Amino acid sequence: MSDTALAEKLVEIVGARFVLERESDLLVYNSDGLPGYRRKPRLAVFPGSREETVAVVRALAASGTSFVPRGAGTGLSGGALADDVVLLGLHRLKRVLSIDHENLRAVVEPGVVNLSLNRTVAPLGLLYAPDPSSEAACTIGGNIAENAGGPHCLKYGVTLNHVIAITAILPDGEIVVLGNPEGEIDGYDLRGAFVGSEGCFGVALDVTVRLTRKPAALRTMLADFVSVDDAARVTSAIIASGIVPAALEFMDSPTIKVVESSVYAAGYPADAAAVLLIEVDGTEAGVNADRDAIREICISGGARTVKVAQNDAERTRLWQGRKKAFGAMGRMAPHLVVQDAVIPRTKLAEVLARISRIAAEHRVTVCNVFHAGDGNLHPNIPYNADDPDEAARVHLSMGEIMRACVDAGGSITGEHGVGLDKIGYIELIFSPESLNAMCKLREVFDPDHRSNPGKVVPIHSCQEWRATPAGRSSEEHGELAGAAST
Amino acid sequence: MTASATLASEPSVAAQAVRDVIRNSFEQAAPLRISGGSNWLDAGRPVTAENNLSLAEHSGVIDYVPGDLTITVSAGATLREIERLTAEHGQWFPLDPHGSEDGTIGATIASGSFGPLAHSFGRARDLVLGVEFVTGDGKVVRGGGRVVKNVAGFDLVRLVTGSWGTIGAITEVTLRLYSRPPLPVSLALTVPDGQPALAHRIKSLLSLPSSPLAVELVDTEVAGLTGLPCNKTLLVALGGNRAAVAAQMDSIAALGGMTEIFPEVWRRLRVVDDIPAGSHPYDHPTPNIVLRVSALPARISDLWTTLEKAIEQIPGARMHATPGLGIARCILPPSAGFEGAHAVTEACLNTTIVCERMPRELWPLISPTVVGDKVSQRIKRAFDPRNILNPGILGR
Ligand SMILES: Cc1cc2nc3c(=O)[nH]c(=O)nc-3n(C[C@H](O)[C@H](O)[C@H](O)COP(=O)(O)OP(=O)(O)OC[C@H]3O[C@@H](n4cnc5c(N)ncnc54)[C@H](O)[C@@H]3O)c2cc1C
Repeated sequence: MSDTALAEKLVEIVGARFVLERESDLLVYNSDGLPGYRRKPRLAVFPGSREETVAVVRALAASGTSFVPRGAGTGLSGGALADDVVLLGLHRLKRVLSIDHENLRAVVEPGVVNLSLNRTVAPLGLLYAPDPSSEAACTIGGNIAENAGGPHCLKYGVTLNHVIAITAILPDGEIVVLGNPEGEIDGYDLRGAFVGSEGCFGVALDVTVRLTRKPAALRTMLADFVSVDDAARVTSAIIASGIVPAALEFMDSPTIKVVESSVYAAGYPADAAAVLLIEVDGTEAGVNADRDAIREICISGGARTVKVAQNDAERTRLWQGRKKAFGAMGRMAPHLVVQDAVIPRTKLAEVLARISRIAAEHRVTVCNVFHAGDGNLHPNIPYNADDPDEAARVHLSMGEIMRACVDAGGSITGEHGVGLDKIGYIELIFSPESLNAMCKLREVFDPDHRSNPGKVVPIHSCQEWRATPAGRSSEEHGELAGAAST
Repeated sequence: MTASATLASEPSVAAQAVRDVIRNSFEQAAPLRISGGSNWLDAGRPVTAENNLSLAEHSGVIDYVPGDLTITVSAGATLREIERLTAEHGQWFPLDPHGSEDGTIGATIASGSFGPLAHSFGRARDLVLGVEFVTGDGKVVRGGGRVVKNVAGFDLVRLVTGSWGTIGAITEVTLRLYSRPPLPVSLALTVPDGQPALAHRIKSLLSLPSSPLAVELVDTEVAGLTGLPCNKTLLVALGGNRAAVAAQMDSIAALGGMTEIFPEVWRRLRVVDDIPAGSHPYDHPTPNIVLRVSALPARISDLWTTLEKAIEQIPGARMHATPGLGIARCILPPSAGFEGAHAVTEACLNTTIVCERMPRELWPLISPTVVGDKVSQRIKRAFDPRNILNPGILGR
């Protein structure tokens, strides 16, 4: 179908205001939060209701058109973009459909912003636990698709652990309920398969999420170190001690300096080599004991000081520096690569040392700010992409850092997803057969690869599957297919 | 013990052996019954298969770094073995499914089993970090990894967890461990008669600012079998630092009717299914009818009261529930037959009923299939194209 004909069809559904065709209007949708990747959609469409979304997806199915679901576009893996697709923006679907205080759950539309859900449930003494640093902008739909994490996921678990059920529309236009909003799942955990599918399995129309009671008491502390190594070892020691902090975040010296010279200054000691921001929660009596135990581990592990927030204002200030660190880095240089990888928690000191050697060798500045308790690193590099020499050095460093994490027994992404950015690394951790299997799973939901094409699994892994004899026999094998209609 | 360099590395020894068996069966389109410790082969719909594929012999520890709180084991490792190893380091894998501790981890994950600790630690899906499995066409596949946070690739871990062997034979798993709570305490709370009183009791317990490890409701029969006085009772497990445990105990004591009990109760609760009515707890097992009824957690007292009525005429019937999850588990003697199972399903119309065990002839009547939907059908076809892995266990 021509762009014009398709646009006309979509205008019929959502109205002219909500279909964008001009290149200049589409420009903002060429990239996500990781500006290194640019892709040009044919059109963008912004349905205002579930009915409109369903009608749009069905119109796209009827014309065999590829599309990319998009929430707030804060993704950091080049996920919500592709060439020659219809960009399906979901940010107008932003109603919280129901809150069930007694059963600790809420049903929300995909465009609900993470923080706005939290603001809605806060007066009830509840919270939605996954708290990505982009919480003020990112959507629940995007969180589901990326299986987003955040500082407090150390204790409370990531998005996956807080999703009860999802109503989704498959790329062929069929609506399915994945998971069970009111009881156990019997049969395959299709909800689990959908979470983290990066927009490749269809579009989430509503999500039943689990809410958590606000903890009775919190203690937030900042430990500062003159050696990165000590901070890394203390992190491992806290985890090994058996205390599960609500959050355990790490910032190194370049990060501290940037934060402290920005409007988000949080009072981190500017001469520290690293700080750990640690929070424990639970009962009033329990948190004091945990606080004391952690302080002891920090001091005996070489911390210079351990400062405990005395009130909410101090706590908010300590957290602000951490949550706005990426933003503050944005001021250091015109561009910023935000990296995301995971390593076993006992390997922190070793891998951080290796990263610092890689940085020195390639003359780049790495700012480490990350979820240390989970071993989820974010070695970020501010740079000028218009300087080809610098860009090449940054690229090389990133490749080497990824390899270092994989060599340590880790993963290439802990929360930002594969998208386009990590597709080149995925073969470092998964065999061709495993990637085939992932591709098969994608094809269960999206046989034609029309929903967010070209992401997560390299195309050649899928082709290889189709060529195998077993793959062919799956097409021929009609027995189960017959049963499907009963 | 060190981690192998990358996850893209060679298939495990177990996977190589399993792959050979499955490839052979694939060629001949010969169905396989996959088994672990063979303690629970009467669970699920009957499987017709000439050949057995046992994972029990593949039982080693592949990688355990206590400081990382993760362990990678072959599928045949038993829960008992994992418990023993991790306990040496003050850690545990907090999944306590009903049944024998000689059950294998592969079967536990494949069946998505859980027990009272699911109240606070979640179920298998929340505790498994990585899997290796062999698909029905003999491909060795890995999902997830060995680290505690990971979003690389589509989620084959969640796909295979709870799939009862119908997508692949699990050969290896990586699990998330926790430190064993330093000061475990077990408590019993009395439960007054009548639905409103029960509802109130559960609600006041669950809304305390405490975070119990487990909260389980048991009926008089189960209470007796676990060695407690024969009364309907709420069991609570607590753990944590001294101050936290003391504060939680105080708040629970303030509700009234609390006594401290022996932790052995939890271990007995795990085997309560297999105790024939009226006999000594450690007699030989007789397969019972076991049904789990679930609904929104706030409905649990409702559900409980309905179920109590539905099974009160059945001698030896018993039940327990995890109120925080909204799940009640009914155990009926085999003699209850269709009428017994039907009484439960009829009484609980707007609920989800997961059948664990039933005499084979009841399945078609009570729960013919749970994979009849289009997406599940496609999954089965994609991963087991010739339908040779535990065929029929989830229905057609
Ligand atoms: C400053 C900053 C800090 C960040 N901090 C964190 C952090 O701490 N933790 C973390 O995990 N991430 C973090 N992120 C990354 C990002 O915010 C998350 O990945 C977030 O979940 C993306 O949400 P979004 O609405 O912006 O999604 P988008 O970027 O719009 O889309 C992301 C993916 O989701 C898909 N998608 C969107 N909506 C739907 C839907 N309804 N149905 C199906 N698929 C859909 C898209 O196709 C795409 O693949 C950060 C980003 C920034 C810019």
